[in-house]
Amino acid sequence: MENKKTENGSTNRRKFLKLGLMSSVTAVAGASLISNLVNDEEVKPSGEKMRLLTPDGKIVEVDASNVNKYPEALITPEESRKGIPNRKFVMVIDLAKCKNARKCVEGCQKAHKLDYNEEFMKVQLIQDNPEASPYWLPKPCFHCDEPPCVTVCPTGATFKREDNIVLIDNDRCIGCKFCITSCPYSARQFNWGHKDKFDDKSQPYSPETSVPAAEGTVMKCDFCPDMLRQGKLPHCASSCPMGVIYFGDKNEDIVTNGEETVRFSKLIEDRGGYRHLEHLGTKPNVYYLPAVNRQFPLERGFNIDEDIIERYKDVPYVQQLKKDGKI
Amino acid sequence: MKRNIFKKATSISFILALLFSISTFSQELTVDDYKLSFSFKTIKKFDNSRVLEVTFIGKNREDRKDKIPVYDAEIKFFNIVNGEEILLGTAKTSNEGIAQLILSEKQKYLTDSDGYINFTARFEGSETLDSEEEEILVKDLQLHLELKEIDSVKTIFVKAFTIDSLGVETPVEELDVIISIEGMLSKMKIKEGTIENGEIEFELLQNIPGDIDKNFTVYAQILDNDEFGDVIQKQTVNWGTFTKIASEDENKLWSEAAPIWMYIVLTILLVGVWANYVYTVIHLIKIKKEGKNLELSNKE
Amino acid sequence: MNIETRKRELVKEFSPLIEKTTKVSKIWMAILVAIILVGIYSFFVQLFKGHEVTGMRDNVVWGVYIINFIFFVCLSYSGAFISGILHFFKTPWKNSISRIVEIITVLSLIIGPIFILLCIGRLDRLHYLFLYPRIQSPITWDIIAIMTDLIGCFIYLYLTFIPDFAILRDHSDDAPKWRQKLYKFLAIGYQDTESQRETLHKITRTMSAMIIALAIVAYSVLAWIFSLTLQPGWNSSIFAPYFIIAGLYSGVSVIIIAMYLIRKYYHLEHYIRKVHFVSGGIILLILSLLYGYFTFSEYFSRWFSHKTHDTNLLNTLFTRYFWEFVFANYIGVLVPVVILFFKKLRTIKSITFASIIAILGLWLNRYLIVVPTLETPYLPIQDTRAEFVHYTATWVEWSLSFAGVAAFILFFILIMKLVPIIPMSGIIDNERSSKVKSTLTKPVTES
Repeated sequence: MENKKTENGSTNRRKFLKLGLMSSVTAVAGASLISNLVNDEEVKPSGEKMRLLTPDGKIVEVDASNVNKYPEALITPEESRKGIPNRKFVMVIDLAKCKNARKCVEGCQKAHKLDYNEEFMKVQLIQDNPEASPYWLPKPCFHCDEPPCVTVCPTGATFKREDNIVLIDNDRCIGCKFCITSCPYSARQFNWGHKDKFDDKSQPYSPETSVPAAEGTVMKCDFCPDMLRQGKLPHCASSCPMGVIYFGDKNEDIVTNGEETVRFSKLIEDRGGYRHLEHLGTKPNVYYLPAVNRQFPLERGFNIDEDIIERYKDVPYVQQLKKDGKI
Repeated sequence: MKRNIFKKATSISFILALLFSISTFSQELTVDDYKLSFSFKTIKKFDNSRVLEVTFIGKNREDRKDKIPVYDAEIKFFNIVNGEEILLGTAKTSNEGIAQLILSEKQKYLTDSDGYINFTARFEGSETLDSEEEEILVKDLQLHLELKEIDSVKTIFVKAFTIDSLGVETPVEELDVIISIEGMLSKMKIKEGTIENGEIEFELLQNIPGDIDKNFTVYAQILDNDEFGDVIQKQTVNWGTFTKIASEDENKLWSEAAPIWMYIVLTILLVGVWANYVYTVIHLIKIKKEGKNLELSNKE
Repeated sequence: MNIETRKRELVKEFSPLIEKTTKVSKIWMAILVAIILVGIYSFFVQLFKGHEVTGMRDNVVWGVYIINFIFFVCLSYSGAFISGILHFFKTPWKNSISRIVEIITVLSLIIGPIFILLCIGRLDRLHYLFLYPRIQSPITWDIIAIMTDLIGCFIYLYLTFIPDFAILRDHSDDAPKWRQKLYKFLAIGYQDTESQRETLHKITRTMSAMIIALAIVAYSVLAWIFSLTLQPGWNSSIFAPYFIIAGLYSGVSVIIIAMYLIRKYYHLEHYIRKVHFVSGGIILLILSLLYGYFTFSEYFSRWFSHKTHDTNLLNTLFTRYFWEFVFANYIGVLVPVVILFFKKLRTIKSITFASIIAILGLWLNRYLIVVPTLETPYLPIQDTRAEFVHYTATWVEWSLSFAGVAAFILFFILIMKLVPIIPMSGIIDNERSSKVKSTLTKPVTES
């Protein structure tokens, strides 16, 4: 009897979460937290560690799967094709505020269990012409309204949802890589070889989390629908210290970077928002605010790993800096 | 013998490895490197329930960015009057270091002679962590939010007053209030002002889309007030201007079903080709039959 | 009865080709098998270690495999196209080469798609193509086109084999039992009666027309895999006709080389004559001019309009890929044109040499269509890992490529062991018709 009850409870909660509502999630999570810690033999370690201070004064590193158990509201590949009802997600990236702190990249990599060189969010250094001043361009997947990648997929493994998000179901992907060649923004990546992390089945696969990835399939930025269902910002937006990345629902015309919340239309209107490579007609859902009246000099962005600076060696500006011996 | 030595070697190396790992572990930060911060606040919600919330976090003394939540610490919440402690409940801190106690609308609180409620949150401490305590004094504020259309101008009325033990309403003076609209991920501030003589009104001139049914929720918030803590009131209204862009379920290149002409062309092509194949095979069978007949007649 | 004796003569003439295996050809077959075995080994390496063993990475996701795929499939389509034309228009000197063309068609259509399978990350999910098909995807079109074409070509090839199977059945009394049985089964009771012959001719003719149409469709679909994307080097409206011409160019070249080798090693100088090489050479000349014209238009319009991303691509082609570009698009076109243009230069050897140059140039041209385009995407590649910036094929890819070529040659040799490479029925048909036509002069076989 008792078992049945808890089962019911959990399915109810699943349904509840799937509706995309989020109030009082923290309270419930708090309750399940302790029980998870108690019978931790059942939970397989996810490898991700979390530092906590216990009341008896010890700093412990707990496996994140013990504490931060993924929401029971697992969205199956079939369900993930529908999208969150009545939403149209957009992202606005304020280039004037970006200083290549790379926190968005790191936050995204941590959440999606990506390796050092695997980046769903890339920060590129773009110099449109030799005279133009270069700027940092954080580049996620653009989740186009007319996505060329979805058009060419032979099995429907990548799909466009009603809430604007373009996802990949890596259970369906056959790895033909046609989508990679047809994406004009190089947003997609392929899993060329086997990695141990693919075998970690502690967290059931969902296209909404893109975890675990699978060998021989394609992956890319997913706009973190699992976070959105909990009413939270995607990982890149929430980890940016500068508030560069705004995210929100175009239907309600509100976007937020976690600190300030503004009207999407007004932001685009006032700041001259544009979309990258508009002439290709893919109708991206990621908007950029031009890098004018910058908050940081570009050089701040070079305060990073040597090999990441190496990436930008072909940019004329960087070549000049090297000539002048500044790098 | 050799095997034994081998075994020993492995066990020694194992112990060495263990020692090494312990020594590296001990070099890590300890609790002494952190300054504990214990902050307590109260929020009165729109359903008149009250949330008591403690944030218990250790902050690194050297590295400001390094914060570590205190996890699973038991926090006791009291209502104190004249030294008399009434336990309201206990809560444990989450993995974000937050302990919350939600008190329903029916919960009664004892007040002092000036009408203040004393809330105290206490962590009783452990062998290594000191005890922490913080108290706040708040008055129970009645915040009312009313949304009306006056001469086709959408207007937001906010009223704020306190009720004393005799049931007399006293309007509040000089209270900052923020009006915001609920979004999916956060609230968007649209107006702010100061309540004078217990009320304030705002005109909502901008168009708010709202949800698919043109509903949206307006919040009136009083934040971090010395006298009242946090007070939130909300109201949902059908003032939205949302218009749905009708472009769904069309057969497109990127939709699930293909444009119809594609099916037609493909069918015509395939039927044409396969009809020809079938035609050829039928004729081959004819040739075979004729060959068989010939063979039979030759035998005869 | 005259015909029957002639048939017996022909069987006697060709049976050494079929039944005897010389030492040289045994050695050749052993070498080919060895190359194929190495290929199979590298296939397993790739299967177990993943696509990491190839030179392909996130930017250049398609490499030598896809190039071989287009190369072989184009070869096959052009074979189908040519043999369809030979049959449909009853070309006078077709008999000696029609079987070569048909075998090339079928073999390359079997080998080509294997290369695309090598490029697929999850072979275990191949059936998803049929479980969850999406009609919008050019890959789906391509799969349908290849499969339909493969079946069509098999039927067509079989139709042209039937009369020879019948002759072999009736006249190879000395052959081993299994051969006799096989011929009997494959000949499906064809007795070369008037009505049977007429039916067979009729259906072969309609099939040949169908094969031409199919080849054009299949070519275009293949070209669309590239030209329907937004990539600067691919998004071109002339890609479909360009692929047809390029395919025919490689097809005719391969036919000429095959003719040369077969003539030389099987001593068929009587059947495969200089006239075949010269006419093949003239067709190759026309095709090389057309191919050069298309190549020029393609790059010229990109160069003249100089859109940023097109210019980037051209810069790559003229710096990093300079010699490849020169070989593919200058030497690969001009050398055949020069050799074939002057009557004096048209010898059997020089025509074959021109064909070899043409094939190599064309393969490189394919390489330059696929790889540099992927190396110059719209947004610059900013990566420190060399293998992610530039593509170089690994030994796994090369050995599988060579295994494909080896398999092509090996199967060719094996099919030649089953039926004579020169259709006997065709010789007889020719003799029959020339007898009817010419009563004045002594009949001369067309061959």
